[in-house]
Amino acid sequence: MGQTVAQKIIARAAGCSAVEAGSYVNVSPDYTCCQELSWQTRKRMMQEIGVDRVARPDKVIMVVDHSTSAGMGSPYYLSHREMKDYAFRNGVENFFGAGSGLRHLVLTEKGFARPGLLIFSDEPNIASIGALGALNISVSTEVIVTQITDENWMLVPKSARIELAGRLPFGVLLRDLAQILIRDFATGDTLSQCCIEFHGPAIAHLSLDERQSLLACAYHTGADTALMPVDEAALAYVQERAQERPYHLLSADPDADYVLETCYDLSTLSPMVTVPPDLHGAVKLEDVAGTRIDQAAVGSCAANRLDDMRAAAAILRGRTIDRAVTMYITPGSREVYVQAAREGLLEVFVAAGATVLAPGCTTCWGYEGALYDNEVSISTHQMNYHGRNGSRLARCYLASPYVVAASAVAGKISDPRAILADMGAGA
Amino acid sequence: MSDTPTSDTRMSDTRIRGRVWKFGDNISADDGIIQYSKVPDLATFDIPALKAMCFAELQPDFREQVKPGDLVVAGSNFGHHSHAHACVAMKESGVATVVVESCDSVFIRKALNVGLPIVVCPGVTRIVAQGEELEVDLATGEVRQPDTGARLHARPFSDRMIEVWRAGSLTAAMRRRLAGRGAGA
Repeated sequence: MGQTVAQKIIARAAGCSAVEAGSYVNVSPDYTCCQELSWQTRKRMMQEIGVDRVARPDKVIMVVDHSTSAGMGSPYYLSHREMKDYAFRNGVENFFGAGSGLRHLVLTEKGFARPGLLIFSDEPNIASIGALGALNISVSTEVIVTQITDENWMLVPKSARIELAGRLPFGVLLRDLAQILIRDFATGDTLSQCCIEFHGPAIAHLSLDERQSLLACAYHTGADTALMPVDEAALAYVQERAQERPYHLLSADPDADYVLETCYDLSTLSPMVTVPPDLHGAVKLEDVAGTRIDQAAVGSCAANRLDDMRAAAAILRGRTIDRAVTMYITPGSREVYVQAAREGLLEVFVAAGATVLAPGCTTCWGYEGALYDNEVSISTHQMNYHGRNGSRLARCYLASPYVVAASAVAGKISDPRAILADMGAGA
Repeated sequence: MSDTPTSDTRMSDTRIRGRVWKFGDNISADDGIIQYSKVPDLATFDIPALKAMCFAELQPDFREQVKPGDLVVAGSNFGHHSHAHACVAMKESGVATVVVESCDSVFIRKALNVGLPIVVCPGVTRIVAQGEELEVDLATGEVRQPDTGARLHARPFSDRMIEVWRAGSLTAAMRRRLAGRGAGA
């Protein structure tokens, strides 16, 4: 039986020629990547084990991204300090402090995520690095095992193939497809413990930012991780940032085994809104249009790249947000922040009445922009369960940056296509 | 239950038998098993607080009625988007193992790391009801309803996973492994 791309990546890290889907293997990943919020747990675990040393400092990446500002009253300033001290004591050069951006973006922008590499991280949404052909396997605080011993076990995921065909219609983003995939698969077992390999003619027309938005949401379909083919655009990005570090261009064997093969035609999609509290609760925007909102937020690993900033700005340029709405916009990294500044996007946001936050996870997990009882938000966040962004009585709708920005302007959930058409902008 | 072997009786035994608490599909870890938004301090595991909220919204009598060695059986997509606090809540409540129709791989790791095995066993919700007994063998993957004799086969745990379960936690297993390595060097 032939091997999928995921199997080939894992086989290389396991030091063998092939691995079987569904089997357990011991691997030495190319990198581990972790954040600061779980530092206290990791520190305690290392104390219990009795080890304070990193086996391969060059393979460790540490990023402060969840608590970008160590505010008064927050316990996290201690984790910032201790994690930094630990990194420097161990010779870990790849420590990125508060405001650097999300692990997801640091991995791609700094050239760590390269084709054929296996990365053990502490978050499944880091599957976004699959846009460059790197495989994310989420192991949570267990990254310490790999940091201490340079190896750990993993389950070889089954693979599923989802073909993307057609072109996105005007005013529709790949985020809308992500919400549809979650609606279609999250409540079943089809993609459970799978790696989704996206392929098909549509991908060539999608920017790397858009691809990462979709991949960052893949875990919510029930899958463990996801990948996309490394095409010319992806390879050009990697070559620009790899700095002579190795990578491995891999493709699936023709007779590789997939538990599912299906196709989505992007041309049939329309703007979606996921209704709280279920992550699989996506409906057509029309079904909830007019719902009053108190807060709007663009950010999170699902929508904090330059294309997302441009999408929000396309709506907000020359407009002001409704006076009853608070709006937060969070660029995903320093690089995105700088580029958004160069393009004048930050000025658009501030002039419209939005608040630009420092690069990080910020509003997605409620560290900033917390909601009060019965408040309603619409955002590009990853989760919408009760209490995710503050009060358990708040309601959190999820949508694309277009829909979020259009809703902020109107003060209620609104279709972005009218504004985009009006401005001659859009898809 | 007193006449059946438990995980504690023999180190060589990888069978776990207990009374079942049954839950449905799509039980969220962060807003189902526990309410992550109500965890007082995310940097530590507040055991009394986690035990108090464990399954409280889904089965209000769980907290009072659960006994050490009980099992949890649940449907598809169990514990999505998990924080380890949900695993600690179940483990500290006395749950010996969790058997589910499906869940993601990182949740299995998080639970095992605090000593709680999660076994993915398609069909399990059809062979056992709330309050009935279920027996699971981690090494062979056999899942059995002793009263009806119904049997299913799950993917067996690997040796590394059984090592962690036997040690009681990932940190205990790592401590032993590194001590063994040091002795051999």
